[in-house]
Amino acid sequence: MAEAQINHQDGRGGRKLLALPQWLTSEHPLPWLFPATAMLIIFGIYPVLYSLWLSFFKRNPATRVEKFDPSWNWSKLIADDRVWDAVVVTLTYTSVALIIQLVLGMLIALLLDSDRRGFGVLRALMTLPLVVPPAVTGMMFLLMYDGSFGVISHVLYDLGILSPNAPLLANGSTALLSVIIVDVWQWTPFMVLIMLAGLRALPKDPFEAAAIDGATDVQAFFRLTLPMMSKIIALAVLIRGIDLFRIYDYVKVMTDSGPGTATETLTAYTGTVYFKSADFPYASTVAIFTLLTVLVVANVFIKIFRVRF
Amino acid sequence: MSFKNHDRQKFIIDTANAFTNRKISKRDFLRNMGMAGIGMSAFATGLLGGTRPFKGNMAHAASHGGTPEDVANFLREAGKPFAGTTIRYTSEATPPTVVLNQLKSEFTELTGINVEIEIVPLEQVLAKATQDVQGELGTYDIYYLDQAWTATFSRDTIDPRELYESKPDLAMPGFDFDDFSETLVEGISLYDNKWIGLPFDIPIFTLMYRKDILEKHGIAVPKTYDEFTSAVELITAAEKENGIFGTGLQAKSGHYSLECDWSQAVWGHGGSIFGADKKFSGNDSAGVEGLEWYMRMLKNAPANSVASTWDGQWQMGASGQVAMIQSWAEFFPGWNADDSEVKGLWEMTKPLEGPATLRSRDMAGFGEIPNWGHQGGSSIALSRYSKNQDAAWLFLQWACSKDIMTRCTLAGGFAPMRNSSYVDPRIVERKTRVGSGTTRHLDTVKWTIDNAIASEPDVAIWAGVANNEIPTELGKLVTGQDYNGNAQACMDKIAELVDQKVEEADLL
Repeated sequence: MAEAQINHQDGRGGRKLLALPQWLTSEHPLPWLFPATAMLIIFGIYPVLYSLWLSFFKRNPATRVEKFDPSWNWSKLIADDRVWDAVVVTLTYTSVALIIQLVLGMLIALLLDSDRRGFGVLRALMTLPLVVPPAVTGMMFLLMYDGSFGVISHVLYDLGILSPNAPLLANGSTALLSVIIVDVWQWTPFMVLIMLAGLRALPKDPFEAAAIDGATDVQAFFRLTLPMMSKIIALAVLIRGIDLFRIYDYVKVMTDSGPGTATETLTAYTGTVYFKSADFPYASTVAIFTLLTVLVVANVFIKIFRVRF
Repeated sequence: MSFKNHDRQKFIIDTANAFTNRKISKRDFLRNMGMAGIGMSAFATGLLGGTRPFKGNMAHAASHGGTPEDVANFLREAGKPFAGTTIRYTSEATPPTVVLNQLKSEFTELTGINVEIEIVPLEQVLAKATQDVQGELGTYDIYYLDQAWTATFSRDTIDPRELYESKPDLAMPGFDFDDFSETLVEGISLYDNKWIGLPFDIPIFTLMYRKDILEKHGIAVPKTYDEFTSAVELITAAEKENGIFGTGLQAKSGHYSLECDWSQAVWGHGGSIFGADKKFSGNDSAGVEGLEWYMRMLKNAPANSVASTWDGQWQMGASGQVAMIQSWAEFFPGWNADDSEVKGLWEMTKPLEGPATLRSRDMAGFGEIPNWGHQGGSSIALSRYSKNQDAAWLFLQWACSKDIMTRCTLAGGFAPMRNSSYVDPRIVERKTRVGSGTTRHLDTVKWTIDNAIASEPDVAIWAGVANNEIPTELGKLVTGQDYNGNAQACMDKIAELVDQKVEEADLL
């Protein structure tokens, strides 16, 4: 077996320490790219291509026979009201949650952007919701929303905002917002972290110059902070937006897409078609459609806001 | 502080009521909830739905322990070649499964065969079984099959009668297939003349009522839907201020429990799910009348009904929120347990009948049986793809043997599958008992099984539409998301969706 020698450079002519296979010392990029590429192909590209392939089959649920019919599932998807309802729910969920998390995240980050004593602890405490698994968060809020003994429901009853006759999660007009609140509770700290990292990396000189020129804090924020943070904000929106688009945990745990389809997102609908109807090709079609939608929306966003990685 | 399951549930309900009535502060409420383990407890998991409310008494099972000697000897000999084998079984938390999970060590001691029972919510059982059969994986040796899935999985299981004949060395002495209730076999386990498994569980709709509330208002026990409706509305009007409603429902949107309630309402008003032409018929006049009646009942039920599955409905009965429930008979033992707040207050009678006339079976489609008592039974079945078929077959026979099935009933109080269990002295002895371990409801259950059992259609697409399209559209109606309260419009939409599925599957 071909071996390469690694010499210890001790300044006295060298001494053989290790004998390694030649490929391990290769300067060719292939051996180094291979592991990551293989992982990407096995866990990323292959499943997507397989799903795409599967979407070209029509499945008979009675016989379980899958017949090649490339247009069947795609025509079905276009005519499926639940898909388009799910698109609306997904976009609503994503945009509302994103706006709230972005604004709250920035405000909290501004409050925590200080070197004063104790702020480090506060910043650490802010991250606590992030360590709770989303399914557990969903269960916690499910209890707090409960119409009979949920703390949140009872506070809302007391305030006259909610009627005991319309439980939060069983009411079409409040269910989606109730789930969004859970997402905001858990993921706003993520926004705070990104914003804080950006804020603390900003140069101090422009702010000192602005202060000397008599600019107020609000002026400094809108004229300096926001423009200088724009790339960070765009990146945060992109990452969080993609994450929100594929929301599944909270919906599954808290409402199971209901009432009716009031909280049915695209991923939740994919799960329903897959697990309840066992129509694997159609579930793959909806999944591919979701992926395409994310890609289009994300790329439009990247183009408009000139996000650079 | 440590709580037994029921004590804890009662504690939670009492705390919630006290908080609602402003008898305790928010701080005390939160502290008490914390003491009860609210947050990440099993109770929280229960609230996700799909968990059957079981109030078993394992001591009863243990006290009657000991496999009969002839069966034990057979298992010792037959099990020898398979010692060390592990068989896997996935199931919903049905009462018999929960009891079986406790008793399985007896089987392992006799045979050396290990048994892993995975207990998950019903929809996950369906998902796991579907994946397993699609890939013919044999991950699970035994499937729990709800009656709604019989047709879907019929080709994936082995007929136990055939196995009994073809493998005499593994045939348990005195197993007696004829001892299984004939109507149960037909409703739960039979498809296209094949036993897809052995009947294992029979939750069935009967009418349960609080005799104290009915007596207080001078109401006779309802026998028909009209009498029931009047009684429910009267009680709601009189008792709503006290937090008591005429009835409670399992109307969670998108959940199979809502489909069960709905089909009972349709059959009870003379309708059927399918017509003889295999077209959906829930949108005919009888079907719509049934759904309109159900909507009327919702107005007389706790608001949480639209967020509740069977576990929520059981809680309504246990917490004294409702006066009458037409639902799963297996609720009854838990409400009558010694530590129950409503012990001895609930009674059971036959399911409501008429005034509508039942639709005949030949006017319904896909083997549907319209009748007064909706059944939600299940079979346990041997997977055709199992790699441990012989070991699993031994377990299946043991689990469904006369002694084990009787002991499961003694432990859980639910209805037995075998005729012999109903006359077993251990069961008969408890027919006069009020409290834990009562079997005083079993005569009514047996009558319902023998005379009024209703079964959903046996068609391969049914598992899908019963868990997805039907309860989702019904959910839109009952929560006001769509259809503006128009039952006919909702039924027409369901008809369109279901007929399309039938057509796509070439079932016409």
